[in-house]
Amino acid sequence: MSEALLHARALTKNYKLGQVNVPALRGVDVDIQAGEYVAIMGPSGSGKSTLMHILGCLDRATDGQYILDGSDVSNLSRRQLARVRNLKVGFVFQTFNLMPRLTVDENVALPLKYRGGISRGERKQRAMKLLDRLGLTDRIGHRPDELSGGQRQRVAIARALVGEPTILMADEPTGNLDSASGAEVLATFEELHAAGHTVVLVTHDANVAAHAERVITMADGKIVA
Amino acid sequence: MGILESLLTGLDEARRHLGQTLLSLLGLILGTGSIVTVLALFGGQAKNTQNYLAEVGGLGTIIVRDRDMSVSPTARELASKRLTYDDAEFLEQRATTLSAVSPGWARSLRYQAGNTGFTGQVVGTVPDYAVINDIVPMAGRYLSDLDVLQQSRVIVMGWKFADSLFGAAEKALGQVLTVQGKAFRVVGVMEREEFYFAVWSGNQLEYRNERAYIPITTAVSQFAENDRLDFMTLKADPTYGVRAADAQVKSLLYARHGVEDFDVTPPGGNGEDDTQFLMMFNYIFLVAGVVSLFTGGIVIANIFLASVVERVREMGTRMALGATPGTVFLHVVAEVLVVTLLGGLVGLAIGAGLTGVVGRLMGLPAAVTPAIALIALSTAGGVGLIAGLFPALRAARISPVEALRYG
Repeated sequence: MSEALLHARALTKNYKLGQVNVPALRGVDVDIQAGEYVAIMGPSGSGKSTLMHILGCLDRATDGQYILDGSDVSNLSRRQLARVRNLKVGFVFQTFNLMPRLTVDENVALPLKYRGGISRGERKQRAMKLLDRLGLTDRIGHRPDELSGGQRQRVAIARALVGEPTILMADEPTGNLDSASGAEVLATFEELHAAGHTVVLVTHDANVAAHAERVITMADGKIVA
Repeated sequence: MGILESLLTGLDEARRHLGQTLLSLLGLILGTGSIVTVLALFGGQAKNTQNYLAEVGGLGTIIVRDRDMSVSPTARELASKRLTYDDAEFLEQRATTLSAVSPGWARSLRYQAGNTGFTGQVVGTVPDYAVINDIVPMAGRYLSDLDVLQQSRVIVMGWKFADSLFGAAEKALGQVLTVQGKAFRVVGVMEREEFYFAVWSGNQLEYRNERAYIPITTAVSQFAENDRLDFMTLKADPTYGVRAADAQVKSLLYARHGVEDFDVTPPGGNGEDDTQFLMMFNYIFLVAGVVSLFTGGIVIANIFLASVVERVREMGTRMALGATPGTVFLHVVAEVLVVTLLGGLVGLAIGAGLTGVVGRLMGLPAAVTPAIALIALSTAGGVGLIAGLFPALRAARISPVEALRYG
């Protein structure tokens, strides 16, 4: 039954706003299989971002169980969660979130630096390999502000992949891109999916969600479809 | 996270807000600068004091003085013969920790040559006195053992009085003058001695130029009614050291007198007034430095707190990529550290400049030594560490969810 790569049961999340308890998730069950390409959709306030925080180990559920790649991560400390993120989750952000002072290759190698125990040479080599795979070899040594939006997002994808994560999570990855660059990025995700990566994409854009194999639609903190 | 990256980030942050950084570092810079100056001046004064001690006979000189009798003396006090010439001979034979003993007797007496004359200090002593106090005649000779043995009526004059009595120090040699009406022949004139703690203060050794020396035996037989001494100047044997000598002298004299009617003063007793003034000056500088460092630290903590809040998404992203709270903490501490060390360097340069100016104005041999530079930089670094604590804690508490917060 729980063969799924991501296995979540009865997830709830409450935010405290002053005295008021605001429920963001009201009992969510999700299973995502290895190799799947899933889009989580819904309007703002539907709880899709909160679900992604929890599935991406950025935050903990108030209640419920979450098993990622065979281990229960529901009750880990902040430090342990950081380790899990580093080893198992690759993030792609809407605003790219590259370090402005680091070069493209240094940005890509950053997660390996946090992992520790990997030599500088190997980190560089692995970053180069991914940059090559994403067609960014000529941008090595440049700073993020010398790159176009689409190039930046592909650098961010390379960074997400460098640690060979179990799962790739993207939060509105095309939100800050023009349609041509957006299409390029989505094509990259499809290639990665074809190559066997598990991809979870959060979006409010139905056109983007249409690229995924499966769409999970959320409203009012629950999965509705 | 590479320490190098943290350091570069710190430098980059500092460069991007250069004016702001300089302002925030102002307190630290001035604080470090004044601490460097104080330490350098302290060093200069210590050197000066050492020079002075060397000038007055070195670090091994101990002075024993006769203590005034109590208002209501005890029987033991009354029974004591007090400091005598015999005491000096006794110490010479028994005090193994001493290398030289010189009994001393001093009175203010009138001396006269022809029509000129005045009152000055006459010291009755022995040849060792010159050795202990490191004084040498510029003309003629000092007192000899034979002078002491024969109670000779010879006198060795200080530079100033020889000069004013006979017109020139050299001319005094061989002349006869009277002390309290008794004739003495001048056999030597001492070198002029001078030492200044600061350019504005007087000659610390002028009293020596205004003295004359006669054999102790002559002094006692001609001018004294008993064989009581006023002081003894002792030289500690370097193999035992001043402390051991000090203790031995005390116990030997106590055994002889049965009461402590003497004072034993280890080296470094004189010329304190000017150094005290300088010390006050030092403390003002030091307090100003510490206050500057303190406020400087608070300002730095504030600025970096703001910087961390401004870069909340960057910190969140680092955490989303797998940086632990501890890693982020160290990153911020390193950032603050590199900036404060930079401030420390600037402060060090300012302090070195200030030391040069103040040292020259006050005539002090003050210099910024490597040790002082090290202290200054570690102080600045220490302030940076403490100031960095709060922004670093704040950064470590940032949630990785912040990486996804837009707008």
